[in-house]
Formats: sequence, structure tokens, C-alpha cells
Amino acid sequence: MTRFRDALRSGSTAIGPFDRFDNAAERTHVAGQVPPQPRNFPEGPWNRLSNSDRFALFSAQEAVEQAGISTPLDDRAGVFFGSSTGGLFETELYFEALLRCPASRPPRALLASHSLSSPAETVARRLGARGPVETVSSACASGGLAIEQALRALRTGEVDLAIAGGADCLCRTTYSGFNSLRAVDERPCRPFRVDRAGMSLGEGGAALVLESVEHARSRKAVALAEILGAGSSCDANHMTAPHAEGVWAASAIERALEDSGIDPDEVDLVNAHGTGTLLNDDAEHAALLRVFGERTRCIPLEVTKAVVGHLLGAAGVIEAVATVLSLLSKEVHSAPGGGEIRYAEFAGLALEGTRRMPDMRTAVSASFGFGGANAAVVLRRWEES
Amino acid sequence: MGARVVITGLGVVAGAAAGSHRLADVLRGSTMPASEVDRSAGYHLPESARLAVLTADLDLSPWIPPGAGRRMSPPSRLGVAAARMAVDDAGLTGAVDGPRTTVVMASAFSAVDFTERLLRAVFLEGPETVSPFMFTESVANAAAAQIAIANQARGPNLTIVQKEAGILTAIGRGAAEVAADRADYALAGGVEEMPPLLHALLDRFGALARPGSPGGEVARPFDRFRSGSVASEGAVVLLLEDEQRARSRGAVIRARVRGFGSAFDPSASRVGWGSDHVALGQALGRMLARAGLAPRDVGRIVSGASGSLAGDRLEARTLRQAWDGSRLPPIVAPKGVTGEYGGGFLGAAVLAASNGEAGPAGGFCEPDPELGVRPHEGGPLGPATRTLVTSLASGGAASWLLLESV
Repeated sequence: MTRFRDALRSGSTAIGPFDRFDNAAERTHVAGQVPPQPRNFPEGPWNRLSNSDRFALFSAQEAVEQAGISTPLDDRAGVFFGSSTGGLFETELYFEALLRCPASRPPRALLASHSLSSPAETVARRLGARGPVETVSSACASGGLAIEQALRALRTGEVDLAIAGGADCLCRTTYSGFNSLRAVDERPCRPFRVDRAGMSLGEGGAALVLESVEHARSRKAVALAEILGAGSSCDANHMTAPHAEGVWAASAIERALEDSGIDPDEVDLVNAHGTGTLLNDDAEHAALLRVFGERTRCIPLEVTKAVVGHLLGAAGVIEAVATVLSLLSKEVHSAPGGGEIRYAEFAGLALEGTRRMPDMRTAVSASFGFGGANAAVVLRRWEES
Repeated sequence: MGARVVITGLGVVAGAAAGSHRLADVLRGSTMPASEVDRSAGYHLPESARLAVLTADLDLSPWIPPGAGRRMSPPSRLGVAAARMAVDDAGLTGAVDGPRTTVVMASAFSAVDFTERLLRAVFLEGPETVSPFMFTESVANAAAAQIAIANQARGPNLTIVQKEAGILTAIGRGAAEVAADRADYALAGGVEEMPPLLHALLDRFGALARPGSPGGEVARPFDRFRSGSVASEGAVVLLLEDEQRARSRGAVIRARVRGFGSAFDPSASRVGWGSDHVALGQALGRMLARAGLAPRDVGRIVSGASGSLAGDRLEARTLRQAWDGSRLPPIVAPKGVTGEYGGGFLGAAVLAASNGEAGPAGGFCEPDPELGVRPHEGGPLGPATRTLVTSLASGGAASWLLLESV
């Protein structure tokens, strides 16, 4: 998390040439690839896991350790993860071998983590969680929806502790797929800029440990932030194109604010979905205007995808983590990529370096995905008083 | 749960049948309507399983116009058709649009056929030949999204992936949205396709019944000679709504959703079932207790047992653990007829809960002394009561749903 925070502050991007797979024949050649494992990376089970499972386990383990929670967890702990690729990278290796020789027997281990549920199950298995384990796979809104599911489970008393996370990997299916839609920028993405030309894919994992205030206090935990509420909706409009006027994206944010019991006027920061595609950015601009009106001009905006790329099913969670870090440091992180801002109301985009916001208290993190799935989470800086 | 949630619509494309009445016929017949899987791609090993319960011959045109169907992946087509049936069954045709209808669908494997075709293009012809349509319909939430589009359902739209346990979780979460008054209606269920590649891969993992086993390639839930499941494809969608709303509009109530619970068994490997029946049995007991009930209050069980060696063993031990030595109620094992995946067993559970009917466990011949469970042999299940629906998944997840006759 320290490195992630530094990256957000640095004004640089992790998006660039990558070698996760041979992309020479692709239309574009940049992505936000997780660096190879450092030499001191723990030995043991890690190397037998798929990339997504590793990202999931690494982030969940870090979150649990930071929260000061000992493992194994118990039947009052649940795992709620978003994923849209699962072990697809390894499945592709298996399938390519099968395709070259259908009667061959490629290593079955490559398929063992194929399921989209594998990251959540890996986390639960390794950390000993025995409560509900659920994977949400609603495209790029998965992470935000996973947080919402975790929040609901906590509120109803189904669990005392929830690990809300997301993990996805770079793979040929999504890289070629998004390129087939001409939705990928040849350069690192530049959300909300005049010359934006698409998204940049990324990969990775992120996790939050969620618990009730009472539960956290009972074990003398140091809270990082409070989740006030969450909300979701569906465009029911088109498989890929967002509703042009952002009506239902706005509805998800409004539901989240209503669930939080706060007014739009109380929002100090928006961590936007901000993919950098022409249609998505236009729709999100329209949605934010619907929710915040003229006040949109005054609300700082951050776009984490410009730093790490689009983590698809994990995007909503890593962006929630970025939002928590912003609330903790009272800083809006930078939006690398340069260029003129497309929308007059988005002057609050922190373009170069971080911006101090001493009074920052409440933030919205929004996620919108294929199939019109929309999700939003409202976070507040934790104040013990 | 808060407000009482009831099932007023049932849409079924499962057990090689379109419509809940047809599924009821298939269940009564107790013969699995399996057919040969196309093995021409060469993915199947020589000694592999050959059969699956498929939907290719079903005419879905009454529920989904052919033109619209051509613009969808197989799971989307199945899901949209089943959702349309559920809405019609509930008497709500054209009336579930808007932000107060939520969609929660589950799938274990998503759109495998389209993903295969996409990857074939990538590997054999180059990534520039990938079809955007193949990609957008290959995502896991395509079916849920198409259901929303077809019904203009603009409430929360969720796709749950938790292997065999996902479908009951989808019902539980859909019911929770209604119970908490975040939705008036929930379209909740599960969908699966079974293309040759997926069938071949399930077989390579030893999940499917062996052609060379005693009696041949048959799913035999709880049977001594079971050797695996028979894969199936299909979709089942339930329309859930608040009971008061349903009664006020004069809807026919099929059953009440009385409870839902889920748990995880960390002893499970990535592709196998776990062994901690004690913890799972306790979790099941807690689920019943949250509903204010005890095991003795359950009148029948519709089990997710599929004929899997380890899965059925864990299921039987978990149930016996939860009942703690007491006599188990009648156990219906519909996957011997509907096959594994595609939601057929959920359709069977709703039918059992609503009319008390259940067919015999297809394929069952001889009890397994190790399990101590003998499935229901068919015929009426007795007076109105509570139905526990179970689904344990490979990989460790488990979910349970409690339905109540109304």
C-alpha cells in the first residue's frame, strides 16, 4: 500500500510497454502490468497460484495484517470479491496448447484457477474464512458491487468481518476484446482530456477489511475510513455503450448518497470511473452534473486509472483504496497524462502533483461497467470523536 | 430477512424442457433427457463422457424473438427466455421496468462458447480478427445485462459466480433486496451453457459420470455406484416480490423464501470438495436458527447432490451433522434427472415446494452404506411444509435456501 500511495502521489503512470504475453500483433501495446515478483517474495504456495489469485491473496493478506487481525479467520468472516477474468490468463495457456493439438493433455493445473470465483476462494481458503464467500462478476462495476455486498452482509449481521476485494489479470481475451472495440488508447490513457483516445488495461488486486464500528472498537482497531453507504443501478440500455445522459449512473450515486444519509453538498471528492473512452467519459460527465449540478466545478476529481490502468473487476476496489488514501492524507492524487481538460466543470482534476485539501472529509468512488452495471461507494475520513 | 418475500414467477429452460410444466413432466418421468455431445472438435479424450442435457432442440421463440436471439450468446438467450417466462408466469408482463426491479443471476462458467471462439480467432487468425460482438457477449454478466435490457430493469444488476453454490446465493441476494425494500421485484436465478469444450474439460477433471461405470454414463445421486454428474445447460429464473404486494395484486404464490445462508469450507482444494462436514453442518444449523427454525421444522430437502463421489459424500455428512442423529426428512435429488448446472434442480425445488410433487432420483439403484441417505422414490411429498434446498460447490462454497409452502 505504501508503494501504491507513492505512485498516486508521484504524478507518474505505471502504464507502458508490457510483456505479460506477446502483444506484437495487437493494435496497441501498452498496459499497467504488475512488476515481476521481487526476489524476497515469500516462497511456498504463491508460485502455484494464478496471477489473479496471487494478486487477491497478496492484497487480502496485507489488508488483514494491517488491520491487526490474526488468522485463521472464522465463521463470522466473509469474503466478497469482484473479478472479471479470474484465472483466464492461465486458461489461455491451456487452451492454446489444446488448440494446437486437441488430443493433447496440457497441465490441468493451468485450469485449476479458471473460475472467476477462484480469487475469493483462494483468499478464504488461505485465511481460513468460513462465512459467506461471494464473487461478483459484473464487468467493471464488480469491485464496487462487491463492496456493496460486503456492506449489506455487515449491516444485516451476517458477518462481523468482511474482506471486500477484487483481482484481475492481463490476458489476451480482454486485451484483444477491448482492442476489437477500438476502446484502447495507443498511449497511456488520459481520462477526461480533449485528446483522450481510450482506456488502458491494467491488472492487480486490492482489498479492504470492513467491520462495524462497534466491532472495530471492541478490538481497539485503528480505523482508516468509514463506509457510509453504497448504491447500484443498471442502464438497461446497451451491452457496451453507457446511457449518453448518464441517468442511471447518476442513479447509482444518488442511491449511495441516500444509503449514506447525506446530501450531494457534503461530498468533497469524487474518485471517478474515468476510463478515458470517448463515450464513457461523456456519460460520466453528464452523470456527475446530474448529481452535483453547478457544484461539480468545485469538487476535486481523481482518476486512478491514469496511474495503474483499468483493473476491470478489481477497479472499484483499488479505486476505493485510493480514495481512502486520499482521505487519510487529505490530498487529491494527480492525474498523469497531461493535456487539456475536455469538460469545463472538471477543472478540479488534479493534473500535476497532488493537491492538499485540508477540509476533505467525504468522498464518492464510482464504477460503471459493460451491460450498464453501475456502482458507487461513499467513504468518509475516520474521526474518532 | 425483513419483509416476507415470495416467488410468484418461475421461468425454466432446463432438463431439456422449456417451461415449468414441461420440467415437471420430465421430473415425473425420472429419465434424464440426455443426448450426445458434439465431439468433432477433438477436445474429448477417447474414454471420455459422451452425454449432456442440452437445449439446442428447444424452441424459445415464444419468449425471445429469433432476431434478438441471434444477437446474444447462448447464456444470454437462455437467461432472457427464462426471465420472460418468469415475468409472464407472475402475471407481470411488461410491468417490471424501472429502477425498482433488480436482476441477480449466477453462472458457474459464463459464456464459454463465445470465449472459445474469441480465443480461436486470437490464436489462429490474429487478434485483429476478433469480433467485438463475441467479446461483449463473452463477459460473465452478459445474461444479467440482457435480461435487464429486455425488461428495462434498472435496479441493481448483479452476477454472482460461485460455481455450484452461486445460484442459491443469487436467490438469497435477490430476496434480500426485496426484503429490505430496495426493490419491488427481483429476477433471480442461474444460467449455464454446456458447449463441447466445457464438457470435455469437466470430463478431464473427472467431474462427469464415466461411460464404463456400472449401468453406464448415468448420474446417480447418493448411489453406491455413482461415478460423477451428467452436465447440463439451461436457465432458471424466479420472480420474487414482497408477499403483501403479491397478495394485493392477486398473484399466485408458488412459495415463500424463508431463509438463506452460505458458508465456506477451507479444506476444499481449488477444484475439489472439502471434508469439513462438521463446520458445514453447524453453518446449516445456524442458517435455520436465523430463520427461527430447527432441523425438525424442515419437511423435505431438495439436494444439490449430483452423483459426484466426494460432493455427495460431503452433502450426506453435512445433512446428518445438521440433523444430529435425528431422522432426515425426505430427500429429493433432482440432478439425477436434470443434470448438473443450468438451474434445473432449483426449478425442481420450487415445484416441490409449491405443489409437493417430486419425481424419483433418476439413476439411483442402491444406497451407499457410507452415506446413510436414501433419496425420495417419487410421488407426493406430503402436506405443505418447508423445503430446504442445498448446494455445495467444488472449491469450498456452500449455500442453502429455505422455501416455505404458502
